[in-house]
Amino acid sequence: MTTTDAGSAGRFVGQSVRRKEDPRLLTGRGTYVDDMSLPGMLHACFVRSNVAHGRIVSIDCDAARAVDGVVAVLTGTELNVGRGSMQPTLMFEDAANVAVQPLTEGTVLFVGDPVALVVAESRAVAEDAAELVEVNIDMLEAVVGFDAALLEGAPLVHPDKGANVGQDMPVIMPGWDEIKADAAHVVSATFNQHRQTNVPMETRGIVASFDPASGELHAYLSTQNPHEARLVLSRVTGVPEHLVRVTARDVGGGFGQKMFLFRDEQTIGAAAVYLGRSIKWIEDRRENLIASNHARADRTTVELALDADGKLLGAFVDEVEDAGAWPLGSMGGAAPAVGAYFTGAYKLPFLSWHARAVWTNTCQRGAYRGPWMMETTAREQMVDYAARAIGMDPWEWRRRNVVKDADLPYTTPMFMTYDDSISPDATLEQAAQVIDYDAFRAEQRRAFESEGRLLGVGLSLYIEPCAMGMMDPLSTETANVRVMPSGKVSVALGTGSHGQGLETTMAQVVAEELGIDIDDVIVVQGDTASSPFGRGTGGSGSAIIGANACRLASAAVRDKAFAIAAQLMEAAANDLEVSDGRITVKGTPARGIDFAEVARVAYLETAKLPEGMEASLEATHTYKAPPVTWANACHACTVEVDRYTGLVKILRYVVSEDCGKMINPAIVDGQIAGGVVQGIGGVLFEHMIYDPDGNPLATTFMDYLLPTAAEIPTIEIHHIETPAPNPGGHKGVGEGGAIGAPACVFNAVADALALLDVTITDQPLGPREVLDALMAAGH
Amino acid sequence: MKPGPFEYHAPHTVADVTALLAEHGDECKPLAGGQSLVPMLALRLTGFPHLVDLNRVDGLSGVERSNGTLVIGAITRQRVLERDPQIAEAVPLLARAAPLIGHFQIRNRGTVGGSLAHADPASELPAVALALGATFDVAGPNGTRSIAAADFFTGTWSTALEPDEIVTAVSFPVRGERTGSAIHEMARRHGDFAIAGAVANMSLDAAGRVSAAAISLFGVASTPVRATGAEAALVGAAPADINTLEIGRLALADQEPTDDIHATGPQRARIAAHVTGIVVARALEEAGR
Ligand SMILES: Cc1cc2nc3c(=O)[nH]c(=O)nc-3n(C[C@H](O)[C@H](O)[C@H](O)COP(=O)(O)OP(=O)(O)OC[C@H]3O[C@@H](n4cnc5c(N)ncnc54)[C@H](O)[C@@H]3O)c2cc1C
Repeated sequence: MTTTDAGSAGRFVGQSVRRKEDPRLLTGRGTYVDDMSLPGMLHACFVRSNVAHGRIVSIDCDAARAVDGVVAVLTGTELNVGRGSMQPTLMFEDAANVAVQPLTEGTVLFVGDPVALVVAESRAVAEDAAELVEVNIDMLEAVVGFDAALLEGAPLVHPDKGANVGQDMPVIMPGWDEIKADAAHVVSATFNQHRQTNVPMETRGIVASFDPASGELHAYLSTQNPHEARLVLSRVTGVPEHLVRVTARDVGGGFGQKMFLFRDEQTIGAAAVYLGRSIKWIEDRRENLIASNHARADRTTVELALDADGKLLGAFVDEVEDAGAWPLGSMGGAAPAVGAYFTGAYKLPFLSWHARAVWTNTCQRGAYRGPWMMETTAREQMVDYAARAIGMDPWEWRRRNVVKDADLPYTTPMFMTYDDSISPDATLEQAAQVIDYDAFRAEQRRAFESEGRLLGVGLSLYIEPCAMGMMDPLSTETANVRVMPSGKVSVALGTGSHGQGLETTMAQVVAEELGIDIDDVIVVQGDTASSPFGRGTGGSGSAIIGANACRLASAAVRDKAFAIAAQLMEAAANDLEVSDGRITVKGTPARGIDFAEVARVAYLETAKLPEGMEASLEATHTYKAPPVTWANACHACTVEVDRYTGLVKILRYVVSEDCGKMINPAIVDGQIAGGVVQGIGGVLFEHMIYDPDGNPLATTFMDYLLPTAAEIPTIEIHHIETPAPNPGGHKGVGEGGAIGAPACVFNAVADALALLDVTITDQPLGPREVLDALMAAGH
Repeated sequence: MKPGPFEYHAPHTVADVTALLAEHGDECKPLAGGQSLVPMLALRLTGFPHLVDLNRVDGLSGVERSNGTLVIGAITRQRVLERDPQIAEAVPLLARAAPLIGHFQIRNRGTVGGSLAHADPASELPAVALALGATFDVAGPNGTRSIAAADFFTGTWSTALEPDEIVTAVSFPVRGERTGSAIHEMARRHGDFAIAGAVANMSLDAAGRVSAAAISLFGVASTPVRATGAEAALVGAAPADINTLEIGRLALADQEPTDDIHATGPQRARIAAHVTGIVVARALEEAGR
C-alpha cells in the first residue's frame, strides 16, 4: 500500500508516468554487458589469491599457457609496467596513499586479490587454464577485524605505512567533560554494524576493445558513471581521453559498486591494450561476493549526555571503519561523515568525534547505498538504548529532542545549517501515527503477559545530505536538449541510470518544460561519444542535479522556440505559452503554431528566423548543486521475535518521507522500497562473514542470504512534500530507504528482547545472534 | 563458473548406465535433475570426466501403487510429489514435505532419487524415507538389490550405494488406519535448506493410545536420525498425557549437532526440539481425527 499526495503535480512532473525502460527490461530486451559480443573477442578469468595474507614466492603459468585456446596468461610482470593511477578522479589520495596495481605482486592482501589473468578463446577454457596456474604463497598472519587491526604489535597490512590505522581524524571540541559532569544522565554504548556487500543482480563486467591501428579503446561497461570510467581507463592505460569511449546500456544494479571503475575492469582495459585485442570479462557471483567491494563494517561507540528530562546536552562519537586491504576511491572514507552528520534530526548542543579507518586483510570497502549511514544506525540505535536506560519511551524521547519547524533554520554543532525545507517532526508524527504506536504498545504488553510472545516496535529518524555540491566532479551535470526538425526531442545526459528510471523522469521534466508529449522525448545516456561530461548517477543526486540541468536547458530551448514562434506569428515572445505541443498566445488559444512547425523552421526554413538568430533548436546547460540538499524521513516497523527459533518476522513497515517535489511518485516509492528491502536484508539476512584467518565464509547465495519477496512485508510509504531551494524543488531519494531501515529493524528487535531484559548492540540479527542473546540471558 | 571439461553420456537403459559406471569407476557420476550436482560442478567443488545422464533412461520415472506400497521411480520430479493426488492420498507426508524443498523451479527439475542419493543431512526426503521405513531399489552391473532406508544413509553426502550402482525406485508403505504424519522445519528464508527439521508418523490403537511412533530429525547430524528414545516414550501413551515439549527435548538428548555460520550446535538442538514438539502434536492430532 502506498499513499501519495502528489501536491502541485504538473502534466508530467509529479505524475506516476509509466517507466519508458520497462517494456524492454520486462520482455528480456535489455542490453547488459554480457549481451555484447565482438568479432574475435577473447574471454578473461582472474587467478585470485586463496589466502588472506602472504608473500608470493612464485607464479608458474607454464601449464596454463600450454592449454589449447589460451592466448595469454599475464601477471604483474607484464601488466603492471608503466601504469597510471587506478584511483578515481574524486580521490582522497592523501588519506590512502597506497598504490594499486592491476595484478598484485609481492604480497597478497586478501582472499580474492588478483595475481594473474588468463585470456583465452572462451571463458570455459580460461577457467580450465586458471586452475593450472600455480601460485606459491608463503602465508603471513592475517589481520581480520577491528581488534586484530588495532592490537599493539599487530602484523601490518601495509608495512610501509607503519600502522594499520590508515585514517585518523579527531574533531574534539572543548568542554565535554564539564557537560558530562553536569548532566543528569550519561549513557554510553558500542554498536557493531557487520560487513555486507552491494550484490547487484548484474555483476561487474566489461568488454574492452583496443584497435592498434586507430589507437582507440572502446569499453562496454556496466557502470553508474561512464565519463568517470573513461577518465580512469585513460589514466591507467595511457590511451588519451579522446580516444577512449565508454558505452553502457542497461545496468543491472550497482548501489554504489559501479560509481567508480574498480581495479578489475581497469585491468581488463589494460590487457586489451597490451594484447591489442577485444576481451570480455563478466565477473562471476563468487568473485562479486568476495572481491568486488564490501561495505558497512563499522564499530561506533556513542556517549550521550542528557538532562533530567531526557534532552540532549551533547554527544561523543568514536567511529572505526574497516577499510579492507586496498583503497577504493578513498580509504574507506565514510568514517568522518559518520561524525560530521551524527546530529541527525535532533537538537544537539555539543558534538565531538573521532573517526578512524583501519586496513585489514579482507576485501576492500566501497560505497553502498548510503555509504556513511552508520551515523543514522549508531545514533538511532543509541537513542533507543539511552531512552530505555533512563526509563523513557523512545517515541517520547524523539518528540522531546526533534528539530521542530520553529527551530528552523537550525545549525548543527558541526556548523551545517538545515534550512526550512525539512520536516523531521512531521515525518516522526506521521510514521508513529500510521503504525498506531500507542495501540501497538498495548498489544505488545498483552501478548507478552498473556502468551509470552515477543513483539517490538522500532523507529528511525534521519536527515540525509544529498547531491553534494562541494565534491567535484560529483557536483554538476550537463544536459543537452536537442529538438530535431520533426519536433521530436533527444536529451543527452552524463548520468548512468542503474535502476532509477532516469529515461523516464528526465523525459518528464523536459516534456513538462517544453509543453510537449513525453512520447516525443528520448533520453540518451551512458555513452561518452554522445553525452556531455557528467557526474554519473549516485549520491542521491540525479533528481536534483540532472533534473535541474534538464529544466534549465529546456527553458533555453523554449525561449528560443518562443522567439521563433513570435516572429512567425507576429506576436510578442513573452505573450506566448506552450502546451500539448502547441505554442499559443496567452488568452487567445486560437492564435497558435505547432511546436513541431517551429522546429522545422529552425532547421529547414532558416530564412524565416528572426534577424541574427542561429539556426537549429538546441541548448546545453550545466547545473551545479547547492553545497548540500537535505532530505528527511522517519521509518517505523513492528516485529515478532520467535523465542524458540530466533527468527524475526516483520509485521508492518511504514515510511514517512520528504524528498521534496517528486518527479514521479511511483519511481520514488520504488526507490524507497528497494532501499528498505536492502536495509531489512542487511539486518536479518546478509552477512559477509570471515573466519579468523581471513577466509570468506559466504561465497555463494547459499550462505550470503538476500531477502526475497517472501521475507518482505508490505512497505507502507507516505509522503510529505516540502520543496527544496532549487529550481525544481527536488531532494534526493535514492539512498534514504537503505539509511533508515537498519536502525528501524534493529530497534524493533531490541524493543522485543527488552521485554525479557535482554540487551543487544550488534548487527546482524539472524537467528544465531538472536538466540545467542536469549540463551546467554538464560532464556 | 563453468564446469571443467567432461564427457556426456546419455544411455537409454539401466544396463547401459551401470556398464558405463563400472567402466569409468570414480571418474564417473550419474546426473539426474542436476540441482545439486551441476552447481557443484560449476563452482568446481567437484569434477568428473564422465557424466551419465539418467533423464533418458527408460522405466525410471513414474508412480505406482500396489499391495500397500507406493513405488516412485528415481527420476520422478520432486514437483510430482506435491501435485499427484494419488501420492497425497497414499503417502501424504511426501506431499507435505515436497513444498519445503527449495523453490518450485528446483522441484521441477530435481528428482526424488537425486535428493535421496545426494543425501544432504538437511534434506527433507531422506528424513521422510527414514521415518516411514522406505526401501530403495538399486541396480548395479551385477543385478539388483534393495536397501532399507535405515541402512542407506551413511554420512554427509554418502550412502550405501556402490559407485557403479544407481537407485531405480523407492517404495513407501501406504498410510495405515488412525495414522497421522507431519513435517516441519526452521529455515532462514522460504526455500532454504533447513537449519533443523523433524518428521513424525504416529499411529493410534483402537483405544486411542499410541501404537507406533516414528520421529526422524534432519539437519542435526551427518545423516537423518531416528529419535528412538522419544519414540519409545510415546508408544502406549494417551495423546492427552503427552508433553510434546518434553518429547522434543528427549528427541535431542543423544544428538550433538555441529556449528555453521547460520546456527551453533546447541541452537540447532533447541530448534530441532521445538519443531519435534510441533510435528508430534500435529501427527497425533491427525491420527486421532
Ligand atoms: C537453491 C536450491 C535450494 C535447494 N533447497 C533444497 C531443500 O530445501 N531441500 C532439499 O532437500 N534439497 C534442496 N535442494 C537440492 C535439490 O532438492 C536437488 O534436486 C537434490 O538434492 C538432488 O536431486 P537432483 O535430481 O537434482 O540430482 P543431481 O543434482 O543430478 O544429483 C545429485 C547427486 O545424486 C546422484 N544421483 C542422482 N540420482 C541418482 C540415482 N538415481 N542413483 C544414484 N545416484 C544418483 C548424482 O550422481 C549426484 O551425486 C536445493 C537446490 C537448490 C539449487
